[in-house]
Amino acid sequence: MALRELASLEKYLGLKKPNKYSTQGDKKVPVLQNNNAPPLVGLVTIACHLAKEAKRPELLGDGAEGRAVVQQWLEYRVTKLDGHAKEDTRSILKDLNLYLQDKVYLAGNQFTLADVLMYYGIHAIVLDLAVQEKEQYVNVARWFDHIQHHPGVRHHLPPVVVLRNRLYTSRHH
Amino acid sequence: MELFVGEGNPHCLKVLAALEVTGVQCGVQFINHEEKVVPFLSRPALPALLLPSRQHLFSPNTICRYMFELNGPESSNQCNQWLEWEATVLQPVLFRALHMAVLQGKGSEVAKVLQGPLNVLDQSLGKGSTTYLTGEALSVADVVLWGALHPVLSDSSLALSAHQSVKAWFDRVAAVRGCQSAAQKVLQGKGLEAMRSYMQKQPAPQSSQGRDAQPCNS
Repeated sequence: MALRELASLEKYLGLKKPNKYSTQGDKKVPVLQNNNAPPLVGLVTIACHLAKEAKRPELLGDGAEGRAVVQQWLEYRVTKLDGHAKEDTRSILKDLNLYLQDKVYLAGNQFTLADVLMYYGIHAIVLDLAVQEKEQYVNVARWFDHIQHHPGVRHHLPPVVVLRNRLYTSRHH
Repeated sequence: MELFVGEGNPHCLKVLAALEVTGVQCGVQFINHEEKVVPFLSRPALPALLLPSRQHLFSPNTICRYMFELNGPESSNQCNQWLEWEATVLQPVLFRALHMAVLQGKGSEVAKVLQGPLNVLDQSLGKGSTTYLTGEALSVADVVLWGALHPVLSDSSLALSAHQSVKAWFDRVAAVRGCQSAAQKVLQGKGLEAMRSYMQKQPAPQSSQGRDAQPCNS
């Protein structure tokens, strides 16, 4: 799974030469094989490295604070979202929904690597949501829809219909 | 900027050490484990850092990293890799070990539980000839790993002494100004016992319940 994510990320970043990967341990932690440097281990570590390699530092956030907020959500992805217990799904959605209430992206107004990796990580959860749940977590749904339509991001994942046509109220007019 | 921490919470040890080592100007408030600081999180999360922009950081390693980056360069790939390893590999194992040592009175089994990650750390430290994890200068990776391991490595009753390179590195970081005083503030000189009330409020570690068992929430 992580390897497909990294392949999609490479395509999004427009990296011409695909890197060589392997995995480590039971959890299949991705490892980036490097010809002239030690291998890099871990999804977030590798993803940040790829963004720098592609000369897209803005994807890692602006300034120390911006970078910290991006790192915050990258850390959240691999510590809280990955491997979460089934009964925690709702609290994850609830927290994210509240957080995204006044934001376009996870880092505010700027699209970053945090959006990409959180989108990849949460895709399976959103895919499983019933229509009413998508309406309950409307900010998550809006953000998710935004990211899946961001050019070049979706790649290995099927699109999810998350938002009902919001014009349905017009029949009252 | 304001940092919120709780006594006996091992993650708070890391961020206080990072604060003291970097000398970043920041207010510190010790609060109760149940107090809610981050407005959008339904569960209380400590440590938490309120940024000048009024945003909150609520992951310990991100807070530590931010403090180091305020006064220095961005953290290196190697550094990032250790931070990710700490959060995703070491923490789950460490949490299980602390649960056993603090709440179950099974301190004698901790060495076995922690052996895997300590071997990884020991081999890496033994292989290179550098003073610290990522080179000759102390980095955020040293502080985070030192803070995480402090409660178990400084408790002699757990008998975790077989890893020579880890021991030497651990003592070197402990000698860095600010590290010991952070540990003192969080553990109050009471060692593992200081973590009892914090550990009691955490959900039991997953793996001791049999991670492979099929979930049955019918």
